[in-house]
Amino acid sequence: MSRSRVVISLVAVLVAIVIQTTVFGSGGIQPLGIAPALVTLVVIAVSTHIESEYLLLIGFTGGTLMDLMGSGTLGLWAMTLTVVAYAAGRLKRRFVDGPWIIAGVVVGLTALSQFLFVLLATLFGHGTITQPGLLSKILLPGVWNLILAVPVFWFLGRAFESRQRGVGVRRA
Amino acid sequence: MFLSLVAVGFIMATFDVRASGTGLGEVMREGTQSMFTPFQRGVDWVTRPVIGFVDGAANLAGLREENERLAHRVRELETQVQETDALKEQVAQLESISGLEVPEDLAFVLARIFSSGPSAFDNVRYIDKGSNDGIVQGQAVVDEDGLIGRVDLVSADAARIRLITDPIVSVGVRVLATNETGVVSGMGDGPLRLEMFRATEPVYEGNRLVTDGSRFPPGISVGTVRRTADIEVGFVLRTEIDPAARLSKIDYVKVIVGWSAIDAGLQQGEVASTTTTTSTSTTTTVGG
Repeated sequence: MSRSRVVISLVAVLVAIVIQTTVFGSGGIQPLGIAPALVTLVVIAVSTHIESEYLLLIGFTGGTLMDLMGSGTLGLWAMTLTVVAYAAGRLKRRFVDGPWIIAGVVVGLTALSQFLFVLLATLFGHGTITQPGLLSKILLPGVWNLILAVPVFWFLGRAFESRQRGVGVRRA
Repeated sequence: MFLSLVAVGFIMATFDVRASGTGLGEVMREGTQSMFTPFQRGVDWVTRPVIGFVDGAANLAGLREENERLAHRVRELETQVQETDALKEQVAQLESISGLEVPEDLAFVLARIFSSGPSAFDNVRYIDKGSNDGIVQGQAVVDEDGLIGRVDLVSADAARIRLITDPIVSVGVRVLATNETGVVSGMGDGPLRLEMFRATEPVYEGNRLVTDGSRFPPGISVGTVRRTADIEVGFVLRTEIDPAARLSKIDYVKVIVGWSAIDAGLQQGEVASTTTTTSTSTTTTVGG
């Protein structure tokens, strides 16, 4: 495992957080009032490029940063995205079976992450489960992530590929 | 490793809950925000015009309807202004009789929102002014429609606002129609919850609520009653409130820096003690 792959993954997560809080933030692009869950999508997208142990660390780091930028309790998104990273690491072998599998995993894991966060936030006393419009907050990010999956998977694939070519040229 | 990371997350959450968001968690939040602020401002500066254009194009169909609605609203407001002028005179007379001083023209800092929380469950916004501009924790944040929230976290050149829709934010309010007080708290999204524990009169749909001056400056519009509600057993009244401010579309906000609850409390105390002293001396004089 090259260190550069982990660095690329980490940078991708940081960029995703910046875009999530600005472009998809309040007053930004939020179709039907709900934004996509870009950080979750990036964690799923990098799963095919790095080993599962590193993927867990990327998920945990991304989640912790989301907790620090958000209004909830520290550690809730960290736990949530660690679970997403674990599930993505287990499912990534199936990605070669076709785009429908990837689409299913993206929608399923995004919805799972939203649901898991709601559950954890409620357990830690935020009462999130009683919020109005909860179902759309759980389901819609998955749909938007499905649309964003094409450019995100393509862009990250190119980033890892170019890095791989750079390493190959240096070795030659 | 998976279980270890989940356990670390759980421990972090437990410590953060016990520390009520202060201590190490607060330091880490401030540090992270300072780290991300330049990047967020840069991206916001680049993408805002594009997003504005896309948003405008998407809402083109609704603009005519919005225009008609606003024209109707202007006519309504013109009538209200005439009524308000008459009321202002009455209020001024009453204030001079009662010796009350209502804070007017409070000093504020104008700020622009450049980012928000990273998930749909966050009720925070970040503004481009911080402690360098005189902003401190707890100050009220308003826009032209009413109360938006309070300053929650401050760094040198940015600050975080916790919206009134957040479940941990409570605002002391007064119903304008009855002058009775209650507490409004957030439900995460959408309407707010009004609870009045010593209510003697019902509240009606459309009744306006303003801040009572306990924590925020008095008289800031908070919202209107969504559903008529009557007193339940034990004199408790519960209903829902529509926020006055359009919280989903905030761009510029005002942070009120010229008012503090402690100073206001002290002033009230001084007024009360002066009144007591005066009445005592009068009694003494009369008695003597």
